[in-house]
Amino acid sequence: MTERRAAGLRHGSWELAARFDRELGDPCDPATVFSYEESMRLDTAEAFPSAVCAALNAWGLPRYYVPADYGGGLTSLEDLQQLIRMLARRDLTVAIAHAKTFLGAVPVWASGNHGAALRLASLVRDGAQVALGLTERTHGSDIMAGDLTADETGGGYRVNGEKWLINNASRGRLLSLLTRTSPTGGPRGFTLFLVDKAELPQDTYRCLPKVPTLGIRGADISGVVLQDAPVGRDAVIGDVGGGAELLLKSLQLTRTLCPSLSLGAADHALRLALGFAEGRELYGRRLSDLPLTRRTLADAYADLLLCEALSTVATRSIHALPSELSVTSAVAKYLVPSLVDGTVAALGSLLGARSFLADHYAHGRFQKLARDHRIVGVFDGNTMVNLYSLVAQFRSLARNYLAPDDHRPHLAGIFDLERTLPDFVPDRLTLLSRYGSSILGTLPAAVERLDTASLHRPALAGAAARAVELLAEADALHRRIATRMETVGDAAPESFEDARRYCLCFAGAAALGLWEHSHGSAGAGPTGALWQDGLWLEGVLARVLHHLGSAPGRPDRDDALVARLYEQCTTQYGEGALFSLLPCPIAEGHPTC
Amino acid sequence: MLKDENGTVADSAESSVRERIAALEQLLGDPHDPGNPFGHAALLAADERGELIPEAERALDGFGLNAEFVPRELGGRLDRVDNLARVLRPVFRRDPALGLGYGVTSFLAAIAVWASGSEAQRRWTADLLLRGGRLAIAYHELAHGNDFVRNEFAALPDGADFLLDGRKEVINNAERAEALVLFSRTTAEPGPRSHSVLLVDKASLPVDRFDHLPRYRTVGVRGCEIGGFEFRRCPLPGDALVGTPGEGVEIALRSFQITRSVVPGMVLGGADTALRTVVGFAVQRELYGRSLLGIPHVRAAIAGSFADLLVSDCLCLVATRAVHLLPEQTSVYAAVVKYLVPKVLQETTYDLSIVLGANFYVRNGDYGVFQKHVRDLPMTSLGHAGTAACQATIIPQLPRLARRAWTLGEEAPQALFRPHEDLPPLDTDRLTLAADQDALVASLLSGADRLEGPEGRGRELAGVRAMVRCLVDELHRCREEGLALSPQDRTALASPHAYAVADRYALVLAGSACLNVWLDRQPDGSAFLDDPRWLTAALTRVVRRLGRSLPEGAELDVDWMLREVLERHRSARSYDLYDTPLAG
Repeated sequence: MTERRAAGLRHGSWELAARFDRELGDPCDPATVFSYEESMRLDTAEAFPSAVCAALNAWGLPRYYVPADYGGGLTSLEDLQQLIRMLARRDLTVAIAHAKTFLGAVPVWASGNHGAALRLASLVRDGAQVALGLTERTHGSDIMAGDLTADETGGGYRVNGEKWLINNASRGRLLSLLTRTSPTGGPRGFTLFLVDKAELPQDTYRCLPKVPTLGIRGADISGVVLQDAPVGRDAVIGDVGGGAELLLKSLQLTRTLCPSLSLGAADHALRLALGFAEGRELYGRRLSDLPLTRRTLADAYADLLLCEALSTVATRSIHALPSELSVTSAVAKYLVPSLVDGTVAALGSLLGARSFLADHYAHGRFQKLARDHRIVGVFDGNTMVNLYSLVAQFRSLARNYLAPDDHRPHLAGIFDLERTLPDFVPDRLTLLSRYGSSILGTLPAAVERLDTASLHRPALAGAAARAVELLAEADALHRRIATRMETVGDAAPESFEDARRYCLCFAGAAALGLWEHSHGSAGAGPTGALWQDGLWLEGVLARVLHHLGSAPGRPDRDDALVARLYEQCTTQYGEGALFSLLPCPIAEGHPTC
Repeated sequence: MLKDENGTVADSAESSVRERIAALEQLLGDPHDPGNPFGHAALLAADERGELIPEAERALDGFGLNAEFVPRELGGRLDRVDNLARVLRPVFRRDPALGLGYGVTSFLAAIAVWASGSEAQRRWTADLLLRGGRLAIAYHELAHGNDFVRNEFAALPDGADFLLDGRKEVINNAERAEALVLFSRTTAEPGPRSHSVLLVDKASLPVDRFDHLPRYRTVGVRGCEIGGFEFRRCPLPGDALVGTPGEGVEIALRSFQITRSVVPGMVLGGADTALRTVVGFAVQRELYGRSLLGIPHVRAAIAGSFADLLVSDCLCLVATRAVHLLPEQTSVYAAVVKYLVPKVLQETTYDLSIVLGANFYVRNGDYGVFQKHVRDLPMTSLGHAGTAACQATIIPQLPRLARRAWTLGEEAPQALFRPHEDLPPLDTDRLTLAADQDALVASLLSGADRLEGPEGRGRELAGVRAMVRCLVDELHRCREEGLALSPQDRTALASPHAYAVADRYALVLAGSACLNVWLDRQPDGSAFLDDPRWLTAALTRVVRRLGRSLPEGAELDVDWMLREVLERHRSARSYDLYDTPLAG
């Protein structure tokens, strides 16, 4: 018997993720250190997952938080994306608590300060945790309103102030701290310091009490108060006064990776819902036999694939298109958590009472992940901050789309998953994208090619029709935003709505690009059925149009699409695979819990 | 007759309701006062412990809250369902768990007895409630959820008596309640006459034949004691039967028409707190160097939420008054309000959480009460009224309504839309399981006509007229699609498309409710409700949810709505149609 499954695209990051999950052990087995049962127990007790974090350290996860240039194992952000997703799939609390170290370390990696980076690398590889100290009690997301100051003294600086609602503030030995170094603040008024608590005199700092949170209850969300804390000049990350810029660039990276948390949550939620629907009898049938149920599940699956396509393209663009990351990261960070919040709510409705019982079905895992996931849209740049980022670039985005520059990069390197990515070069990050979005810029030509292709491949007609509709929306949107110029405090609600629509159009373009350039290879592999005839593309574009408020199409055409998507969803479920465009077996296999 | 501060003449029923609401507000005190034993801080602490505050329940004992659940003729204060919702709002404003746990689920149980019980059963239940007791309502079985007709629990005939056998799960107050209203299979044969309702005096049961199930921990209303029962061939006297044998499904469905109508109106109290908390936050905070309230997006979110609460209140008003005025039609209206209001409130609290930002995630402190309401709100569908179940009640009726009722129907009496007008007594016998008429739709059409006449004149009504035309257009679409629904769509195998039609129909009804509350407003009513701008705002929320873009000239006047929001915040008045003075 020929092994047909050996063919097709093989992606190292997905394979790494599968190995990671396998080596962590079956989460349905209570004897596994990182089990679902343990996660629930810790959540109920609001206890930090120390043993699980130790197991992750033993596996070597911290290596992936350190770039290879500094002696770590991180060469591809795609690897990190998939690893975080697998963590988040099991337990968002753990994912957020452990991977926070990477988010806290990014400013140092991006600073170009090799000495500091080497020192930090050694600490992180040994398991030290890093926190990112940005927010303050009364200033929330407005980081440049921060009051915590660093005043220059003889040998260094003296730091005074408080940071609150900080992940790992107490347990983290290291703190990437944003300080005000100029009394009047402003774009050059802030400096980032890497503070090592082990080097601070005990009476110059204290940790604030743990803040009880709605979700990620076991995480260390606390704060720190510094009083005349002495910090050396060598603790400066980047340059003095360059803190705001370095931070904003670092956030571009972290915001692009945060969607992995949502992808993991969505996978977990869908798996629970599908298991429930298949196991439950209602009105004399299985719940999963009811058309409404299948529709709900298929829509959730399509939204998940949409988010995956966007996240994959976004993460690859860190390597291949860093100059546009200010746009890409805002899109990914706004859209993925928002869509997944919606997915979780819809699946919760399906689960009914089980969505709010803390102990009952599957040990109450659904209600935990629902509460946990609500933080993802809030931290590291919340909804408004990300949408506003786009509003601020409207004119440039419109100009570059409507009258594109000839020197635009070709994006096959991003969209073709078989292509190796160039190294990530932090120096190429910019605060604003000079050429708007090349990714969204691929849409008009890509739609035309798909439309043409559908002429001799009728199976692509559905996807092509939706792509054409999406293009019309994108064109109209860009014409609308071409004249908008608003400051953050003044932006009209309509602008935020247009920014939301921008994100959806972007996601559609990312999906189309990904499908076009990768379906040849991926279509021959184990998940080939998703790729062949553009099935996942059509499903994902249908969701984009739905979220854009487009009138529902012909019910019969939708029904056929839903049925095919549902089949793929249940196939992956039955195979014990990640809900994903690429093959990735999960440790629990077909769930037994 | 009394005049209130607006100079409006209030009849004695209205002034009595206002007095009771004011008394409850005063009793429960200013929620923001840190020293208030029933304030937010205390309630959050109790929620952490998974408890209700005992003193709060005793205070409600002193108020005699249970009397609100007992009909007047049996010694209580219950006469109007719309007023019942209003009186419970102060309680839900503080704590939905307190509302449900103290007594609302007792009401959900007792309604079956008021409607179908014998004189002796009614008397017994009334006495139990009036002396501070509780009833648990046991329709739910975890394995079957909303498909309660398939429940496996059984009350097997044993001569003239019964033997109870099986489990009832996720039941509020299972252990505390002295009595239960059980929905149970009473014959082995399948079919709609296989179930009955039983009123069980727990004290009469042999203790070795039943157990209370361990308490279920829940995400929301954590103070509620949610448990269950396991019966093992437990003997029950035959006089526990409520109504006639086999009447269970009808009694249940008729009860739902009242309970589904009234609970959303109570839950609005919680939504008030969610909005009020965010307003309080916005008033105090600065972002980008200016007050949060100066930021257009924040202003729009807050104004939009207030509009959502008004839409919800209009629908609750109409549904609860319809129970009295149009009992033959409430099978649909009750399902619509129970489906749509929690959905709107969930969406609006999501939008408000974005304004709160990271503070939304903190369980204590000045804004901690917000996340409590986020967790509590979905719980009020506990048991037998999930969204799909409500839609499943609506869908099978759409073809008939589309065919018969939506073009030549009689419009609703004005009294349906007037909060302070008297209502005829509740006549539960007139509740029918399927509606033949649709007065709310007829009133939409007649309302649209009225807007074309003198009542609709004026530039400020241009937006309203345009949006009402959208709603009428939407109704016609629903009609076409309703007529085209297949026989399969009237079953559990209904297509997603059918659910979508039900969703849009619900929104059309909401629009009609808002329109007619404005059209039929009292001439000497409040200045706010007199101004069509609230209606414009409300309709924009409905039209947008229908997936339509707003017509030319239709715009939510953010500045005007926000002024009202801030004024009601400053002077502590409710974010609903009643503008009720609050303790804080």
